[in-house]
Amino acid sequence: MGRVALRGIRAHLVRFLLSVLAVALGVAFVAGTFALRTMLSGTFDGIVDAAAPGDVYVRVQQAEGSSVVTGTANATGESVPRDLVEEIAAVDGVAHAVPGVSGPIVLVGADGTAVQSTQAPSFALMYVPDDPSLDVVEGRGPQRPGEVALESATLESSGLAVGDTTDAVLGGEVTQVEVVGRVDLGGPMAGATIVLVDAQTGQDVLAPEGGVNDIAVYAADGTSVAQLVDRISPLAPDGLEVVAGDALRAENKTEIASQLGFITTFLLVFAAIALFVGAFIISNTFAMSVRQRMRELALLRAVGASPVQVFSSVLVQAAVVGLLGSALGIAGGVGLVSALRVGLGTVGMDLVGTIPLDVTTVVVSLVVGTVVSVLAAALPARRAALVPPVEAMRDDVATPEKSLRWRALGGLVVTGAGVASLVVALLRPEADSAELWLGSGAAAVLVGVLMLSPVVARSAVGVLAWPFVRLLRPVGRLARGNVVRNPRRTANTAGALMIGMALVGAVSVIAVTAQQSVAGVVEAQTNADVVVRSATQVIPAGAVDDVVALPEAGRADPIAFAPLGVAVGDATPEVQYVIGLDSGTLGGSVEVDVVDGSLDGLGAGEVAVLESAAEEHGWGVGDTLRVSGTGGPQDLAVTAVFTTNILGSPLVVDRGVLDGLLPREQQMVDTILVSAAAGVSTAQLQDAVAETVAPYIVVSVLTREEFVSSLADQVNQVLVILYALLGLSVVIAVLGIVNTLALSVIERTREIGLLRAVGLGRLQLAGTVTIESVLTAVFGTVLGLVVGVALASTLPTLFADEGLSTLVIPWGSLAGMLVLAVVVGVLAAVWPGSRAARMKVLDAVAYE
Amino acid sequence: MTNEQRTPIASARGLVKTYGKGDTAVHALAGVDVDFGRGQMTAIMGPSGSGKSTLMHCMAGLDRTDAGTVVVDGLEVSGMNERKLTKLRRDRLGFIFQAFNLVPTLTALENITLPLDIARRPVDKAHLAEVVEAVGLADRLSHKPSELSGGQQQRVACARALVSRPAVVFADEPTGNLDSTSSAEVLGFLRRSVDELGQSVVMVTHDPTAASYAHRVLFLADGRVVGELADPTPESVLAALAALRPARQGGSALLAQTVGV
Repeated sequence: MGRVALRGIRAHLVRFLLSVLAVALGVAFVAGTFALRTMLSGTFDGIVDAAAPGDVYVRVQQAEGSSVVTGTANATGESVPRDLVEEIAAVDGVAHAVPGVSGPIVLVGADGTAVQSTQAPSFALMYVPDDPSLDVVEGRGPQRPGEVALESATLESSGLAVGDTTDAVLGGEVTQVEVVGRVDLGGPMAGATIVLVDAQTGQDVLAPEGGVNDIAVYAADGTSVAQLVDRISPLAPDGLEVVAGDALRAENKTEIASQLGFITTFLLVFAAIALFVGAFIISNTFAMSVRQRMRELALLRAVGASPVQVFSSVLVQAAVVGLLGSALGIAGGVGLVSALRVGLGTVGMDLVGTIPLDVTTVVVSLVVGTVVSVLAAALPARRAALVPPVEAMRDDVATPEKSLRWRALGGLVVTGAGVASLVVALLRPEADSAELWLGSGAAAVLVGVLMLSPVVARSAVGVLAWPFVRLLRPVGRLARGNVVRNPRRTANTAGALMIGMALVGAVSVIAVTAQQSVAGVVEAQTNADVVVRSATQVIPAGAVDDVVALPEAGRADPIAFAPLGVAVGDATPEVQYVIGLDSGTLGGSVEVDVVDGSLDGLGAGEVAVLESAAEEHGWGVGDTLRVSGTGGPQDLAVTAVFTTNILGSPLVVDRGVLDGLLPREQQMVDTILVSAAAGVSTAQLQDAVAETVAPYIVVSVLTREEFVSSLADQVNQVLVILYALLGLSVVIAVLGIVNTLALSVIERTREIGLLRAVGLGRLQLAGTVTIESVLTAVFGTVLGLVVGVALASTLPTLFADEGLSTLVIPWGSLAGMLVLAVVVGVLAAVWPGSRAARMKVLDAVAYE
Repeated sequence: MTNEQRTPIASARGLVKTYGKGDTAVHALAGVDVDFGRGQMTAIMGPSGSGKSTLMHCMAGLDRTDAGTVVVDGLEVSGMNERKLTKLRRDRLGFIFQAFNLVPTLTALENITLPLDIARRPVDKAHLAEVVEAVGLADRLSHKPSELSGGQQQRVACARALVSRPAVVFADEPTGNLDSTSSAEVLGFLRRSVDELGQSVVMVTHDPTAASYAHRVLFLADGRVVGELADPTPESVLAALAALRPARQGGSALLAQTVGV
């Protein structure tokens, strides 16, 4: 029987190649996702190892690890006393004790623009000559203010060379610096811009309070890490802890892995969709191939093959297809990741050299592809095995279509459950479980509609086909007949496209809604004429001061924020971003809706909280929050609960209060809202501000309209990635249509021969196939878009707090999708159509 | 007989069709000269492999000939390109196959009018009614093929072949899959279409009873016409077939005289 199964594959090579391709695409996604994850975590692990190579670290005691990678100061603003460095260096067995000091910097590259990559941070590190983790490979380390050394990758992307002079924005001031050396940090830094500054600058600018982020301790030969920890621990005052380097690195890696987990989950969802869609194609292929070979299989049965043998011969074929497809898919996945790496490389994010294809990835991909193939083929195989031989041997095999009643019932139940779950989510949008209800409801509705789709296919296609039937006699009617002849198959074929289009529909609704909401929010909630932002997210302090001092600016309200420990009473502080605003900003540049209490004269000892945070933490007007920074803890009374969409942080205090908690140098300003002084036009204001901030390179000045569209651009960037991923599922769907059409053309060979014999022209025949294809594609698209848009329409109700205020349905892009569906249909029909048209009439008529 | 009736509706001269090459070559048609009468029903008979189906396929433009000419209704079929052949089949020929005659997605009526629909020609309602009446399917028109019996399906196929008033109807074993009652219905109908509507019919069959419905029977063996019989009866056809067997060993020319008219 094995031989029969393999011969079967050889005899119908094209058909099986299509199935193999379908499996390959699905598996490529899975393999690519896993490989990407391994590569990313490999890269980040390398960074962690390179960034924290010490044997022992002394750092501020903390519940959650602060990231060494980004070099940010400790969240609560506390730091390690600098004096401790010498004390530790004197400990027996300590080879080096290196203070870690870092802070934000903007470096101007050879082309006069800021050196930065899209996502990676840009920071300055204090250069410590005896730091064993630094390796000066060219020139020398910076020794006095005005000298810097650049990390190798940074030097390369800046276009600068050792010996060049350039500008840098450090500590809020523009300063001229000379590049004196190139330094390796022991590994790729994922595109981070790293500038090493001299010890003096490090102390004055990066650690003006005298504290350092941490102290890296390197053991002398013969001293173990445990011994070091034991010896250093007594030196560390309260609030500091001594940890082994391995523990710290493991902690950082775990943290990174959990952040990468989101990306992986996201990609795996797409992989699942791709495989799901692939499974449709495989099951369709086998259903049709079994149907077509009913007589052959019946003959096998008649000469004594048992149902089990027939069953397993079909499964063997499926396994071969699955294995082959998976193997190709793994190669494809590696290809995908290589392409991605090239893409990331061009934006300055270096990933480690080889694409890791570990055993797990290979095994998981092979198993997934094969199992999905075998499962998808199981149902048709069962049908093949159980058909009575005599019935199948008869001349025209009319396998009766199973009734759709149970499927309809099941579909209705699942869809109903999904809708009910959505209703639960909508009725209690503020509940924690709302998102879970929403997610499972959406999934159930999608699956339910998939189940129902063959039931609605007949009538839906009837309606869609109406213009064809009327205008293209008799081709339209023939095509409609072919599409509705087997509603199950049509629905399965369209199902692949339906899933993709449901996502496209939902995403485009959400995107437009989000854009519109953002625009609406900005329109409604800021009165500023000009918005100042920074490409590095932080506006240099000097730029802030210069803008505030401008005579053209009637009001200039910087939005400053800082991560601080926040707690009720003596509870363990939790890190929250706290915004500090000049008095008059609220209700002035920033409009807010006060839910409870009053915002008038928010001043010393007072804090206002966002409604969503208040609900999450159970804070209310009259409560007292203990907020702690380097300036010591302060007890602040909650005087107002408010909503706004323009401020992203949950707590707002007066700028004076924030200054008391953390020195200005350590606060971040990401936005300045500027209103024109009387008699100054918006254009004049924009020009004046732009001129002022020009030296700071990274600062941009936007009018309100530009600001809105810049926010919309951010949404669009996310969309492009989503659309690219969805595009892949559409490609698979197209393959599915090609596959189904090609098989159905083969299946209908005699019918086609007959039609040609009674005078149907080749073009008319190809036209019939094309209309079938278009009908199937449009059916899947319409169904998918309806489901997607309907599901997405529930979101504004649920996420009104997150900024999705008004539902907008992008009719234009939806119509575009329909046009795309027609194009897809036409493209998918090219090959099967020409294949049908090329059939020789006589051969077709006599086809067995 | 008028002049018009005397010109054949279809004729072939020196028709050669060879399958394969060299040693394995099979001469399906080895130089056939034949005329099919206008307004006549002609049956083609012969043992398996005699070339009877090939002859019909070549006459109907379904198969290419290697040599010789085929003329149908005054048009030379040999030498037509695919587009012209399609048009010929659509406008001037009717087909009835042994099985799988109907498009399963169309109703009986839609199947009948299919050639007209393809040609985008208006349906002659009166003629359609006449044909439908003649095949006795008036109450079955809205049924799908799967809801019709084998005999009914073949009658629908007959109606489809006739509705476009083709010059010739080619029938390839039209009753091969039918029981004797259904066969009689279909054959009787085909014969009436000749007698009453003046249709020309060419039918390939291996059934002497079916052949006896024809005006004339042509016998083929080894790719040649080896005899013919006018106004056949089942018995005379059987006799002729029996005589044909030794003829395959002896000289066919001699036998053609014995059975010939």
